[in-house]
Amino acid sequence: MQIRTVTEDFIADLLANGKREDGRDFMSYRDIKVQTGIVPNAEGSAMVTFGDTKVIGAVKISPGEPMPDKPDEGNLMTGAELHPMASESFDTGPPSPDAIELGRVIDRGIRASNMINPKALVINDELVWSVFVDVYVLNYDGNLFDAGMFASAAALNTCRMPKYEDEKVIREGNLEKFKPGGLATSCTFAKLGKSIVLDASGNEEAFMDARITISNDEAVIRAMQKGLHGSFTNAELENLIDISFNKSKELRKMISDLR
Amino acid sequence: MGGGEKPELMINGKRLDGRMPDQLRSIKIESGVIKNAVGSAYIEWGNNKIIAAVYGPKEALPKHVQDPERAIIKCRYTMAPFSSLEEHGRSGPNRRSTEISKVTKEVFENVIMLEKFPGSEIDIFVEVLQGDGGTRAAGITAAAVAVAASGIPMTDIPYAVSFGKVGDTVILDLNKIEDNYSDADMPVAISPRTGDILLLQMDGTLSKDDVKAGMDMVYRAAEVITKVQRDALKAPYEKISERYTK
Amino acid sequence: MQRIVVPGERLHDKPIRIDNTITDNNGTYSCILGYFDDQSKSLIPLEGLWLPKSGDTVVGIVEEDRGTTFTINLNAPYRGLIIARFIETDIRARDVIIASIKELEKDGTAILVRPKRLEGGKMISVKPSKIPRIIGKANTMVKQITDNTGTSLIIGLNGIIWLKGGNVDLATKAILQIEEEAHTSGLTDRIREMLEANKV
Repeated sequence: MQIRTVTEDFIADLLANGKREDGRDFMSYRDIKVQTGIVPNAEGSAMVTFGDTKVIGAVKISPGEPMPDKPDEGNLMTGAELHPMASESFDTGPPSPDAIELGRVIDRGIRASNMINPKALVINDELVWSVFVDVYVLNYDGNLFDAGMFASAAALNTCRMPKYEDEKVIREGNLEKFKPGGLATSCTFAKLGKSIVLDASGNEEAFMDARITISNDEAVIRAMQKGLHGSFTNAELENLIDISFNKSKELRKMISDLR
Repeated sequence: MGGGEKPELMINGKRLDGRMPDQLRSIKIESGVIKNAVGSAYIEWGNNKIIAAVYGPKEALPKHVQDPERAIIKCRYTMAPFSSLEEHGRSGPNRRSTEISKVTKEVFENVIMLEKFPGSEIDIFVEVLQGDGGTRAAGITAAAVAVAASGIPMTDIPYAVSFGKVGDTVILDLNKIEDNYSDADMPVAISPRTGDILLLQMDGTLSKDDVKAGMDMVYRAAEVITKVQRDALKAPYEKISERYTK
Repeated sequence: MQRIVVPGERLHDKPIRIDNTITDNNGTYSCILGYFDDQSKSLIPLEGLWLPKSGDTVVGIVEEDRGTTFTINLNAPYRGLIIARFIETDIRARDVIIASIKELEKDGTAILVRPKRLEGGKMISVKPSKIPRIIGKANTMVKQITDNTGTSLIIGLNGIIWLKGGNVDLATKAILQIEEEAHTSGLTDRIREMLEANKV
């Protein structure tokens, strides 16, 4: 077992003094880097790092049948993989509840913000486009929710749209860009004792009591998820919503600049 | 071998991507890409893009898998669901990837000095982010760098490459379309110090002379592949040294 | 001449005895990623984990209190074990301790003696192969860190370092720089300059 070199007391003492391990403000992101097109076989892809957290967001688009209850809409399928190479604490085997929650929270952020416009994904009477978004965690150091959401949004915003001609899918050559119907990002806050921090590192997450993810676009909130045993007050929630609108502007600008 | 109409794979002695029969695709390796791992490497081999990472040696669990004489190796080769240009795949292992994991593990059981860490476990992960033929060979080549970078003692840094046959011509390092339509495919892993064969698989049709010609190419490829592996391992240290040598 | 070598790389054209090498009729080959000196024929590992030896000082975390014994996480493939009736200090799960290895059991478990609790402070984890460089010849390196930062350092050969008091951030910076640049020459002087430049 790898030793975790910080103790709960150490993190708690720092926070009580208004400090974080890496010298950040409580409401600052780590250095964010994004590189798009890293998997050319995928229609869209982005490698994103938040400090030492490294994830890939990748988009594949394929023809498929619509859901029976939504014959005039395309499909979105989002999955997250906590790859065992990313951390000694991630296991091989079937997806863990943590991985499933991560995938579903990102899915809701994408879906609710119309980043995928389902009505625009109809091919013909029988076929629609299915959009597969995969979030692959390659190195874990906290805040997979925001890194995963950011990588998905970056991949969707730099994605090509395949064509369907003569019952064949054309994936290469002169293709149009995929047109997202919206742009949302998320801000995830970790609560340790009474302190609340944005973009928690792995060391901070190891001792967090509660976590909340707020996905929003410029105007409205699109998805939220509270996690873990701890709690937030209503006043904290209101404050975090304000902060999320404010902080997420930086993230959305980075993604818009990729287009 | 692949279905559908067979394309012409050799035109005027050259391959579809312009290579000569015995020519490798371009190979680039970067060591140290996964911070949490004790060793890691990213390889771009033609259009293959693969990450390998190593954890351990650590206590082998559950206890009954422990070998009191030596370390055990667990290896997991998988292909990302977005790795192919065609359909979205399933994530996680399948029959093919499980077999590749096994033969990859056996390569490393040969070269890692397992007796130094009795009772422990070494984990090797190979993840194909993008596949274009020859991913098991490229994965082994990258994993060898990842293991060496971790400091785990090994008797050699193995490399792997495949050869095959198109019509009358034996060709080295098949890409995906060649792999789909060639008359044979034979991936091989080699310990370059001894020349020993650590992995060998083959399907299709080859004569004894074809195998001889192919193995010749495989051995000659060591010069390029081993150099790329060694340079990747040394680069991070040399970069730091260079700061102070001017 | 000193050079970086990798497993399988030939160090000498005759079979000679050097640690971490193998030989055949054609020569001597490295088994590790290391730093080789052609003159002194020494091969120093650049990476690699620590394997417990009797007498080693270690820093670890108490993992489990099993009543008569405590298991200790040593950041290694093998655990440490403290036998409760041999100690006087009161230790509990999650405590950080310094101890020395008395002996090794057959399965690699390290029997630890003279545990001492380390309270407060901060731990960092470095590559165990870099510990000799962090200590320095006759403690020169560690001494100049403590002299310039006022931080007390407790160094476990298992790669865990515990720091307390003084300018912990500067001491951490120095240790991480030594870890990264361990294979370069002139390091002691550079670290001293860095410490003096950043001293408040």
